[in-house]
Amino acid sequence: MEAYKKDIDRTLIRENLKLTVEERFRKAMALARFADELKRAGREARSRKS
Amino acid sequence: MIDFDALLTALGRHEVSFIVVGGAAAIAHGSARLTQDLDIVYDRSPENLDRLVAALAEYKPYLRGVPAGLPFHWDRATVTRGLNFTLVTSLGDIDLLGEIPGGGTYQDLLPEAIELHIFDTRCLCLSLDQLIRSKRAAGRPKDLDALAELEAIREERGQS
Repeated sequence: MEAYKKDIDRTLIRENLKLTVEERFRKAMALARFADELKRAGREARSRKS
Repeated sequence: MIDFDALLTALGRHEVSFIVVGGAAAIAHGSARLTQDLDIVYDRSPENLDRLVAALAEYKPYLRGVPAGLPFHWDRATVTRGLNFTLVTSLGDIDLLGEIPGGGTYQDLLPEAIELHIFDTRCLCLSLDQLIRSKRAAGRPKDLDALAELEAIREERGQS
């Protein structure tokens, strides 16, 4: 477990711990929206290529 | 995309007894990992099953990963017959769990769960220690990174 822990970015954790719980969820939803948009853009790029 | 706000508000509005577990509980405690669904452990009492069915009905719950068109009736009888349901809804994916490894049922988890006040509603969530125990008990390779992050969160909290 210590080997896994050394790869954790603690700066992200520290920033999240400064937020309220609701702010953490809002940030997670924004991140999920961004991930969805990246997936969509990737699909679009692949279909243009083929 | 998952709409935590709307899902938690819908469950709260119908007074469903549940506890947030999994990745969403990790977010509540400060995790930076991306989560695509809401996992909850729900109370299996008949009254609560009625509330759960009513809360999700308007969001068209359907079994996730199952070909469209297979008969699935979202009602009390269906929920009574099963235990764990992985569902897709119009508000995003939600996993309904009757129990979790390392934690047990809703009643088992209740004494140590913490109350969250979010999105103008109240809900229960696993404590950080409960979450760490459940991840350890699950013992899946994919949980090792998540477990390491949760332990790091506990250490960071101890220092703040």
